[in-house]
Amino acid sequence: MLQKMQLMMMGLLLSVCLTAGTAAAKQTELTMYYPVAVGGPLTQVIDGMVDQFMAENPGITVNAIYAGNYNDARIKALAALKSGQPAQLSVLFSIDIYELIEQDAIVAFDDVVQTAEEKAWLNSFYPTLMENGKTAGKTWGIPFQRSTIVMYYNKDLFRKAGLDPEQPPADWDEMVAMGKKITTADRWGVMIPSTGYPYWMFGALAMQNGQVLMNGDGNTTYFDHPAVIEALQFWKDLGAKHGVMPSGTIEWGTLRQNFLEGKTAMMWHSTGNLTAVKDNADFDFGVAMLPASKRRGTPTGGGNFYIFKQTTPDERRAAMQLIKFMTSPENSARWSIKTGYMGVSPAAYDTAALKDYVAGFPYAAVARDQLSHATAELSTYQTGRIRKTLDDAIQATLTGAKTPEASLKEAQGVADRLLKPYR
Amino acid sequence: MQLPRKNHVHAWLLLMPAAILLIAFTHYPTVTTVVKSLFSKGTAIRPSQFTGLDNYRMMIEDPVFWKVLGNNLWFALGTIPTSIALAIVMALFVNRALPGRSLVRMAYFTPTILPMIAVANIWLFFYTPDIGLIDQILTAVGISGRNWLGDPATVLPAIMVMTIWKEAGFFMIFYLAAMQNIPPELKEAARLEGAGRWTYFFRVMFPLLMPTTLFVFINAVLNSFKLVDHLFVLTKGGPDNASNLLLYYIFETAFSYFETHYAAALTVVLLVLLAAMALGQFFILDKRVHYR
Amino acid sequence: MSRIDIHNLTKTWGTVTGVDQVSFTVPEKSLTVLLGPSGCGKSTILRLIAGLETVSSGTIRIGDKEITHEDPARRGVSMVFQSYALFPHLSVRENILFGLKVRRVSKARQQERLAEAARMVGLQDLLDRRPSQLSGGQRQRAALARSIVSRRQVCLMDEPLSNLDAKLRAEMRGEIHRLQKEVGLTMIYVTHDQVEAMTMADQVILLNSGRVEQAGPPHALYDRPDTSFAARFLGSPPMNLLMLSSRQAAAALDDFPSDAEMETMHLHQGMVGVRPEHVRIGDTGLPAQIVAADYLGSETIVRIRLDDQILFARTGNKVSSDPEARVHVSWPKAAVCLFDKTGRRLSGDFL
Repeated sequence: MLQKMQLMMMGLLLSVCLTAGTAAAKQTELTMYYPVAVGGPLTQVIDGMVDQFMAENPGITVNAIYAGNYNDARIKALAALKSGQPAQLSVLFSIDIYELIEQDAIVAFDDVVQTAEEKAWLNSFYPTLMENGKTAGKTWGIPFQRSTIVMYYNKDLFRKAGLDPEQPPADWDEMVAMGKKITTADRWGVMIPSTGYPYWMFGALAMQNGQVLMNGDGNTTYFDHPAVIEALQFWKDLGAKHGVMPSGTIEWGTLRQNFLEGKTAMMWHSTGNLTAVKDNADFDFGVAMLPASKRRGTPTGGGNFYIFKQTTPDERRAAMQLIKFMTSPENSARWSIKTGYMGVSPAAYDTAALKDYVAGFPYAAVARDQLSHATAELSTYQTGRIRKTLDDAIQATLTGAKTPEASLKEAQGVADRLLKPYR
Repeated sequence: MQLPRKNHVHAWLLLMPAAILLIAFTHYPTVTTVVKSLFSKGTAIRPSQFTGLDNYRMMIEDPVFWKVLGNNLWFALGTIPTSIALAIVMALFVNRALPGRSLVRMAYFTPTILPMIAVANIWLFFYTPDIGLIDQILTAVGISGRNWLGDPATVLPAIMVMTIWKEAGFFMIFYLAAMQNIPPELKEAARLEGAGRWTYFFRVMFPLLMPTTLFVFINAVLNSFKLVDHLFVLTKGGPDNASNLLLYYIFETAFSYFETHYAAALTVVLLVLLAAMALGQFFILDKRVHYR
Repeated sequence: MSRIDIHNLTKTWGTVTGVDQVSFTVPEKSLTVLLGPSGCGKSTILRLIAGLETVSSGTIRIGDKEITHEDPARRGVSMVFQSYALFPHLSVRENILFGLKVRRVSKARQQERLAEAARMVGLQDLLDRRPSQLSGGQRQRAALARSIVSRRQVCLMDEPLSNLDAKLRAEMRGEIHRLQKEVGLTMIYVTHDQVEAMTMADQVILLNSGRVEQAGPPHALYDRPDTSFAARFLGSPPMNLLMLSSRQAAAALDDFPSDAEMETMHLHQGMVGVRPEHVRIGDTGLPAQIVAADYLGSETIVRIRLDDQILFARTGNKVSSDPEARVHVSWPKAAVCLFDKTGRRLSGDFL
């Protein structure tokens, strides 16, 4: 332990000496907006990391500004851009990529990286996490606070219902069957949130049924594909037919509380909640990959680093340095442990810290293991409108206003009209 | 009579601070909104063009627009009369000598001083199925839980209830002030004439409160179109736009879809609506309510 | 029928006593004025009679009926408030008819009584105005009409003229007095203005700190005040109250006192009271000095220093306001009231 400290100190000193020369010459100032979408004192974590970065890089000053949820952060970043006082980089929703490209707001990392080492760095992340950051053959976003959907389950309730707590459901049928055993008058089998980000949950169901929601260019959606319709039918049936889930919509914001109070035995939720659940659950809980229909599947989610176009070459270099620091294996591991978000590269899971953590708390690795079954989050041109169209279709179905087929066909019609100009 | 030139200068100088603020933050944005609503959405790749009334045509064909407009009307109808009636009842109650009166007044006023976002977060947990306060009470009396915010049939009424709870205390303050301005002799004179409590209220007090009622009514109408903070927390307009209101839709259109020009057109409609209502209220109702 | 009997009426709020054991009787169709400085409890007594305050103890009877705890509306009293208490949102007509409508009097009778009341107060042409469109005097008339139209025999008036200017006040005073006689109302009239009390009252009840100081017809209160308080309250300037030795007191009399009368003077240790109009300035009596003279046209008020005391004289003659003028003051023995040390008038007097 002591040795490690000494080593770190020496490294720090060394880097200080190396950068001292350039620091004296020039001070680069960076403004960065970042969102927080889940509970917990995440701003402190970010501030701590930024402070450390500044200590190691005296030539760079970073103003890290907490900007609300993903929506707020995007609005603030773009407003700053328009007002002529732009941020140089930001953590924004990974799926904002097309909007940002269309607004001509960001630069591709391919145009910023210089050395071979940096090019290699671009390929050091989990490829699945890069899907939302890449389009038109270029990389625009670097994964940072990334998540997938996982299934949290209450082992005590499993035991009470006579189920094996180490055997969470592996497919849809099992989930329904187990749900039925668990459901009582004051307890549900499973809850999948359908407000806030319904399209995200639906991305998982659709993929599990063998169909992704959109193509890689962000200009075609597949909402009316039979497998997609079937997936929505299944979601609706969980409440309407099987009775293992409340009918109507389920609130994203209060779902964790429902789970913590034992009102549902299983919940689908972001890995970003992992630490909060771990800290607050007064029962034995487990985390599992989402069940499969034809295959397993989940969309990734969360925020990426973007570098804005209105920047000087120096600022871009500094931004690169910051991003590299924040996504380095050690920091990614630290971030993951503090929040439940995933480590963004295989190297992160090879660090001693995360290895130790996973060894003591194996569920921290579920999200990573699920990555091999993951796909990109719904993201297209006109993404706000299209996402809302799909959200409305999902909610209309779950509340019984429309059939899955009718609502999804309608949504696809809207999407086709909106995306036509981009094909 | 002609004012000396110097007086004109003085007048303009005195008007200037207010005028500058008004023009910069009210008139200029209004004009640019109207202008913007006549152009198409522009991006860096495809610049915006003049398209005349296309945005308005699109609005007429936009089912969501009609849905949110309808919702807003129901929302106004559902919240305004009830919150005004409740405000009067509460004001009557605390306008008497009763033990702990200031405490009760404070309690009634508390919802008003809480930020809307905080209020919405509280009510989110009231309404949450199974673990929410309302469901727990209902379960205790043997009624099984309802998904208040997840059911299109109940979501708007649920939001109305919260709004009434929030607004009534605010309006109560105005009524309380107005009631304390009514000379006590009027009540005594009415009592001597044999008027009971109800007669006094309907024949004397309520008519005398009319100026307050008009003021509160205008505020309530404006608020029913202006207050959407709670939607960000409670429902985001869902499920399937069942609780979406006009201003929230404008926000979504502008900042979620980045269709600022369509949002401008929607804003123009909202402006016209509100202006028409305010004018109507002032010109039609105003004549009937002032006695002094 | 509408005679009012107040017996031992008391009103307390906690430890504060506002009205203390007050008893008096108002004969039918007469006007009684409750007079006193502010805070003496006169308005409270009125409100107790009206039923707007609850009685702590004692009884109130109107006619043969005890109404101490009766509902205000069923006491058969009407009331005119200092602020008139007209309903601002109703026209004069609606204001006058308010009570009749509440009591569901038939339409025809409403109109009949309205016309009568409006004629009596002279408001026939202003019935469609709102109170805000009336002058102070007109509002007062509207309030009177509202009281008359009720046909209640007892009318309570709470300082009804205090919001009017002096000229209007004199006019309305006469008006109210006329109406009271014409309609035959039994009226209790609260005021702090002695002129109203003197001119209108059949009976004046002078109140001090919640107690009856003196009750009686105006001239009795003026000529023979029971207490030094009553002596000082009535009259402008009030009765002179002088500390005089028996020798001085005797010397001041312009008609020579008898021995018996001198005896009284000797026994008496209190004050000598004389109204200013009885003070004669001349060559005989007590030596004094004129301090100032206020010429008022029909009369002159003279301030006179008598040793270290000040007294007022009212005279029709012109008095030179020459300061330092040496004079003598005297008064007839019939005008003298003697008060003991506690301020009560000695019954003996000279008469």
